[in-house]
Order: sequence, then C-alpha cells, then structure tokens
Amino acid sequence: MKLTLIITLFFFIPNLAQNSHFNFHSPENKKKFADYLFCEGDYLRAVEEYESIRDLIRNDTIDFKIMLGYSSLGLFEESNKIFKQFNYESVFYSDGYLYSLRNILQIEQREFDYPGIPSFDPTQWKSFRKLFSISMLYADEPFESKEKFVSVFEEDDQITVSLLYDYKFNPPYKSELLAGVLSAVIPGSGKMYVGEWGDGITALLVTGLFAFLAYDNFRADHNTRAWIFTGLGAFFYAGNVYGSVASAQIFNARINFEFKEGLNLFLQHKNYFLPEYDFCN
Amino acid sequence: MTFVTELCVKILLLSFVVINLQAQTALKDQFNYAKKLYNDEKYFDAVTEFKRLLFFDNTNKYVFEASKFIGLSYKEGAKFSDAVYYFTLAEKNAQNNEELFETRIEIIKINILRRSTGRALALLVSLQNDKRYINKKDEINYWRGWAYIFSDDWENAAFMFNSISPNHELKVFADSINSEFYDVTLSKVLSVFIPGAGQFYTGEYASGLISLGWNVLWGYLTISAFIDDRIFDGIMIGSFLWWRFYTGNLQNAEKFALEKNLNMTNDALRYLRNNYPGSKP
Repeated sequence: MKLTLIITLFFFIPNLAQNSHFNFHSPENKKKFADYLFCEGDYLRAVEEYESIRDLIRNDTIDFKIMLGYSSLGLFEESNKIFKQFNYESVFYSDGYLYSLRNILQIEQREFDYPGIPSFDPTQWKSFRKLFSISMLYADEPFESKEKFVSVFEEDDQITVSLLYDYKFNPPYKSELLAGVLSAVIPGSGKMYVGEWGDGITALLVTGLFAFLAYDNFRADHNTRAWIFTGLGAFFYAGNVYGSVASAQIFNARINFEFKEGLNLFLQHKNYFLPEYDFCN
Repeated sequence: MTFVTELCVKILLLSFVVINLQAQTALKDQFNYAKKLYNDEKYFDAVTEFKRLLFFDNTNKYVFEASKFIGLSYKEGAKFSDAVYYFTLAEKNAQNNEELFETRIEIIKINILRRSTGRALALLVSLQNDKRYINKKDEINYWRGWAYIFSDDWENAAFMFNSISPNHELKVFADSINSEFYDVTLSKVLSVFIPGAGQFYTGEYASGLISLGWNVLWGYLTISAFIDDRIFDGIMIGSFLWWRFYTGNLQNAEKFALEKNLNMTNDALRYLRNNYPGSKP
C-alpha cells in the first residue's frame, strides 16, 4: 500500500502545476513566456507578450526589454516611444537614454543637438562621449578637431575612427568636370585620371585609330568607308568623354558608399559603444 | 492499516488521478486552441500559441505535434530556416516511424521550395535506402518528381512520375511542358549559319530581321574593302563591326530561347499551384 502511494505521488505530482485551473494567459505566465521568447531571440513575439501585460505588471525591466526588443527589430521610433514613458528615477533610465540616442542616430542619420544629459556612472559617461563624438561623422562639417575626436576612443579603435574622419571630411573625390575636359582634349586621359588605366588606353587607341582611318580613306577618295570611320570615331570620342564623367561620378559614389558601410559595420561591431545586457543567464 | 487510513489513501489516490486528468485537459485545450488558429490560417498567432504550449508542457507530450505545426506555420509564412529548425525538433521527438517519415518529407518539401534540389534528392535517397520505408517507394518518387520540376528538369520529372504510373497526371503534364521548350543549342547553331535564324526560331522576327540586316551590311563592306586591297580597313570593319554584330546575334538567339523557356516554366508552376489538386510542396 505504501509503495502504491509513493508510486502514485511520483507519477502525478508533476501534473499538479498544470491542473485545469492553470491559466496559460495569466500575467505571471505571460511574463515567464515572454522572458523565454526574449532569450530565444524571438523579439517580435516577446514584445507582443510584454506589451499585453505592461499595464498589469509595472516593471522597469519589462519596459527596458520592450525598448531593446523594438531596437533589435529595427523599429527605432517605437523603441524611443517606450523610452519617453520611462520614469526618470528608474534604474534603467540612463541606459535607456543611451539607447534612445542610438535610435536617433539610426532614424535621423545626423549629428546630435546638445542633448539634456541625465546622471551617468563612469562607464555610461564613456559610452555617451563616444556616441556623441561618432555622431559628428553624420554632420556636414566637423565640430571638433581630429585629435580631440580621436582621443575619445580606445587605442584599438583610434586608427579606424581616424580613417573614418578623413574619409568623411577629406574624401578623395575626383572632379567630374576635370575628367570630362581631360578626355575631350586627349581621349582616354579622363579615365586614366579616375584610375581606369585599361579603359583609358583603349579609348585613346580606338579613337585615334578611327580618326586615322577616316583621314586615310578621305585622302584615298574612299568616301563611304571614310564616313563610316568618321562616324565610328565620333561615336567612340563622345562615348569616351561621357564615360570619363560617369566614371568620376561612380568613383565618388563608391567613396560615399564605402564610408557609410564602413561606419555602419564598425558601429554594429562595437554595439554603438553601448553596454550589452544579458537577461538570460 | 486501519479502515480510516485505508479510506484516506484511496481518496488521495483518486484525487491524484482526477488532477492528472485535469492537467492533461489544460494542455489539450491549449493545443486545440493553437490548432484552430492554424486551421484559420492565423499562422503568426498559431506559432505563438504552439510555442506557449511547448514552454509549459513539462511532460513533453506535445513536443512532436507542436513542433510540427510550428514548422508548418513558418513554412506558410515562407520562413524556411525556422520551419526546418522546428521540423528537425519534431523529427527528434517522433514517436514512431510514420511520424518520422512525415517530418522528413516536410523537410524535403522545404528544400524543394528553396530549390536546394541536391539536398532534397539526397534526403530522398536516404529515405529510399531506409528499410523501414520499403513500401513508400511511390511517395518518395512522387517528391523526387517535384524536386525535378522545381529545378526545371521536366524530362526527369516525367520519368519519376512515370515510375508511379504511366498515366500519372503530372507525368503527362511534365511531358507536354518539356516538348514545348525551345532547344537553346539549336537556336545558337541556326544563328551561326544564318544570322537572325535563331531569333526566327524563337518567334522574335523583328530582332531576327535586324540582325540579318546588320550582318549583311558589315559583311558586304568588309569584303568590298578586301577586294579593293584595303586590307587594314577590312580588318577594322570586320573585327569592330561585323564580328560585334555577329556575336550579338548569337547572344540574342540564346537569350530569347532561355527567356521563352523561363516564361513557360513560370506559367507551368503557376498552373500547378492554382489548379493541381494533389499534394504539392
């Protein structure tokens, strides 16, 4: 009898927690499920669950996790709307403020105005200074010197941020007008100026060749072929001038693209100099 | 043991049985709720509720079913990587050979949809070599046929369906599609001998006539230059103009044949999606 009782308890006790009154959608169970989803990286569902219990369970951590969740999903404006509802005295307020600055950078892609700063601890202050400095790379003009800009960052990062600064404020652009004029005077030279040596030499040879053939055929009184070569020569000449201008435009666009991509990759790698949070361990 | 003690024990045992049944009911209710969402095509909510069931199911009774339906829901949303993850989870928790086969077929279908044909065929071979599924040969060949359809190999697809039945609806369909395709090699060979002939073969008459015209013109000018002893002129016109238009004609012949075949494939897939009543990936 005792043995029967022990066996019964062993089999049935696990189900006590899941009796028919078990409410999958109670606020406490929704929070547990939301925490699980957040740690699994299913931020969309985690945020949905947290939002459904926000009014029932007032909790700073939940608010902050919603903010982080929206940020992870790329919904930066939604993330900042959540931050605006933070209590100033909340333990997450300063960190939330830093994340809101990151969100602003993502949304507006411009330098910060002088923002009202809450009280930071030393680590938060470091993060803020770096984030504020890096926002300068979205401005049209620098608002501090390169030395001062670079000095804010760690030694390991200083080479990268220095390169980014140079790329932003002293980009190695090529002049489209100069490329066009050079090719108009000497076919192919505009392409060589942009760095496309192969195309430049080809343009020079082909245009020169057709010009010579046109002249030679006119001189030998073969007018049909002469006009064909004149047309071809003119076509290649015009193409060479147009192509040189286009090459300079493409070169400059590539500079801008490489800068933006480089900056984005660097910031993502550094998590925008913000502390990482581990709510799962 | 006294009569009272024995009575208490029996009441306790009965209570545990009832509680256990109630626990199972709670999980079953959640499962049914989630399944209803799936049947109503509310796939996002279905995934949420099945994940909730998985999270709270300490007995792991619903791991297979819930994982399978999460996989199916993700598949409906074209989230194939997530779908494969959950089908694999279902596969690990399959209780019998039928369930194992079912989930493996679902994974194969995802690979067909993703057009990772090599992987789909490799999985089908592993199923075919599994002695447990010796009586599933027709079903394995059926999905093999679909894998070939999605990789645009209608000839092999017809062969596979033929192995199920010579009059199989999909065999007849695949044969008809295959017979309508343009032969890309033939198109190019025709254009080698008569510029524009390949375009005519694919029904692009205007392009064919223009190709023919250009090739006749530049061919005449090249030959007349050689006849006039203007060898260098002949070489220039022949290489820059005649050769360029000749190779362009070959490229067009190939391009039109491939384009027409691609349109036919897309129309065929569209027809199968909307009109074929049998199982589809």
